[in-house]
Parts: sequence; structure tokens; C-alpha cells
Amino acid sequence: MTGTKEKTTRRSARFWAGLLLGTVGAIAGLALSGAIDADTALVLMLVPVIQTIPLMRAAGRRRDGAAGSLCGKGEAQKRYTRRVALFTALYLLSFGVLTFATAESEPAFALRSVLAVLPGLAVIGIFWAVGRLILEEQDEFIRMLVVRQSLIATGIALSAATVWGFLEAADVAPHLDAYWVAVTWFLGLFVGALSNRIEYGSWGAV
Amino acid sequence: MKNRLKVLRAERDWSQQALADRLEVSRQSVNAIETGRYDPSLPLAFRIADVFDMPIEAIFLRD
Repeated sequence: MTGTKEKTTRRSARFWAGLLLGTVGAIAGLALSGAIDADTALVLMLVPVIQTIPLMRAAGRRRDGAAGSLCGKGEAQKRYTRRVALFTALYLLSFGVLTFATAESEPAFALRSVLAVLPGLAVIGIFWAVGRLILEEQDEFIRMLVVRQSLIATGIALSAATVWGFLEAADVAPHLDAYWVAVTWFLGLFVGALSNRIEYGSWGAV
Repeated sequence: MKNRLKVLRAERDWSQQALADRLEVSRQSVNAIETGRYDPSLPLAFRIADVFDMPIEAIFLRD
């Protein structure tokens, strides 16, 4: 058990980066070919988001040597990881319930509304966890990296949403559900981490 | 802003992690400050000065 865990955590950053890109490519391919619908693609896109965590850990290990870890993981980062894991699990659970309930029957408007709000609340929980990390992180350099990463993600998500909105208004692009803004924000976090790595030599904590 | 962190650390034979532990920050922070990628806040600069028992201006220099 321990041996398996060690083997998993010792995968190289290149392995995780390849796996992440491969996953995104596979999901995009399946979605574009029509093999999976938009809802399924949305759920599956959580996988590459989660894959960024071991990728950053592996990159941190590579940089720091055997004794290193992602930014020396302080208490704030451990709490953040626990919170994100909890809200991700709640998201998957609530989204599964919503999908199952609407596929099997036609729930009343009130129930449908409640079920539809729950996955959104879980995602809001992840936003809250990032906010708490910024407030609780005692290391000013790491806090700056998280703020920078979040601003880059916000800039990317808002820019993409704005441009897409106008494209939609001009009937140039198809309609996308608004929750794709959140998905874009999470992918933007990865871009932000990459930018931190290039600019400051560290991936950050998110 | 330039600094003499790397030299001062080497004089004491401290690793980046050892200095980070004394400052209660991450090793990445020490590395970023040392390489000039990040300028510390005034409170952290005072902590660094305290650790080396030197005035701030003897550690951090104007460009």
C-alpha cells in the first residue's frame, strides 16, 4: 500500500503534464466528435483540473530535490487542499444527483431549482477556499503568488466570457451555459501557476 | 533591489531551507528574494535583518 503510494507520488512532472494534456485532448475529441454531450464533458473536465495538483507537486519535488514539496506546504495550504477535496466531492455528488433526477423523471420546478443550485454552491465553496487561502496564508510570497494566479484566472475567464457573449450576440458562436465561465476560471488557474513558475520560479499553492 | 542574502547565508553555512525555517517562510520565498525576483515587505526585511543581526541597509541595497 505504502509502496504503491510512493510510486504514485514519485511520478515525474513530465508524466503528469502529458497525462493532463492527453486527458484534455481526449475530452475535447470526444466532445467535438459528439460521442459525449456538454454535461458529460463538463464533469470530465474536472479530471484535468484535479490532475494539476499532482503535476504541481511533482514539479515542486523536481525543483526542491528529494526533501522538497510544493512550497513547503504550510497549514493554510493543507486546509485549502482539504476544503477543495470536500467541495469537489460535494460537486460531483450533487451534479450526479441532478443528472440522475432529471434523466429519470421530470421533478417539480421547486425541487429542480434546488437540485440545480447545489452543484453551483459546491463550486462557490471552491472559490471560498481560494479566498480563505489568501487570507490565511502566512507566507507573503506564496500569498502573492496565489493572488497573482487568481487575478490571471479571473482575467482569462472574464475576457473569454465577454468575447464569447458578443460572438453569441452576433450569431457567430453557439450558446454556451454560463457555468463554463467557472470552468475557464479553473483552467485559468493553471495558466496563472505556469506564469508564476516562469516569472517567480514557483508554481504557487493553488 | 539587490541583496546580500546568498553571501550572508553562505558565510553561516546555512541552506535556503535552514534560513527559511529561521524566518518561518517557505524555501521558495528565500529563493525568490535571494535571486531578486521578489522584494520582501518591510516586516519580513526586518525579520531577515534580525536573523543575520545586521541593519537592513547592510543586507538590501539600492539598484
